[in-house]
Amino acid sequence: MTHSSLYWEDVSEGEALPVLVKEVTATTIIAGAIATRDFYPLHHDFRFAQKAGLKDIIMNNITTGGYLGRYLTDWSGPEGDIKRMKFHLGMPCHPGDTFTVTGRVTRKYEQAGQHLVDIQYEVAVNMGDHCTGTATMVLPVRPAE
Amino acid sequence: MSESVYGELRAMIGEEQEPVVAVDEVCGQMIRHWCEAMEDANPMYTDEEYARNGRYGGIIAPPQMIWAWSLPPLWPAEAQSRGQRKLLETCARGGYDQVIDTDVELEFLAPLRPGDRMTATAKVTGVSEEKRTGLGKGHFIVVEMAYRNQREELVCIQRMTLLIYKARGEDDPQ
Repeated sequence: MTHSSLYWEDVSEGEALPVLVKEVTATTIIAGAIATRDFYPLHHDFRFAQKAGLKDIIMNNITTGGYLGRYLTDWSGPEGDIKRMKFHLGMPCHPGDTFTVTGRVTRKYEQAGQHLVDIQYEVAVNMGDHCTGTATMVLPVRPAE
Repeated sequence: MSESVYGELRAMIGEEQEPVVAVDEVCGQMIRHWCEAMEDANPMYTDEEYARNGRYGGIIAPPQMIWAWSLPPLWPAEAQSRGQRKLLETCARGGYDQVIDTDVELEFLAPLRPGDRMTATAKVTGVSEEKRTGLGKGHFIVVEMAYRNQREELVCIQRMTLLIYKARGEDDPQ
């Protein structure tokens, strides 16, 4: 199986990343909670979530971070490295939500010998913005001919 | 009572909490379980052959997976000693028994390789006054976690803002 990666030269400021859409089920949330080792009951116990003032269980933030990381490297390909991620969490993600990630390149630059891009992204769920944030990635440069 | 808890929380600012050594080493199986849950097909995480010929010379964990190595095991209870225990116990004493994260920042400084074992050290860096939020009354707390591997290399710095709150009851309408 071959895997292609983006070169830094091929990326433009303002360019949109492909949209990631995931239909979220209770299984998505619980599989994420287990894979991230997060047994806080809010992520698997419906009654506990209701007592905490929520309508249902919610995706844990580590799973949100996992999907964001995947969104970034799905775009860059495996030769891209995530250097930094920062996000603000808003509306919770419940079973039955459509989790939609959109983003764009806001800056392309060189720093300390690395070829970098900054990306701004947001995740929409049924109640509104689940998450908004930024990331910095290191991309490979096109080899000399 | 709440005021004294606020004072106690303020007093924790800057104090390094007990370091937590991850119960598991970074390993291919946990990485694969993660990728399965996130539907992440990046070969750098799960394809030995691809990764061996790549820039790390072998598979690495998704960097954002670092977080998974700071969480306590469900069992046994005595292994649940964790860096944030003092913080959470102090909050619970003030009646703030619910916690959610509102902001997360992860800065990745070195790769996570199979066989690595992480130690996470937490430090409270900020505490807000009590605020009224959509979920109930609570304090926003900023916690910085430093993750180091067994070679003492700094792998990741994580900054999290937590809201610790009292779930809104009938006596506290919005």
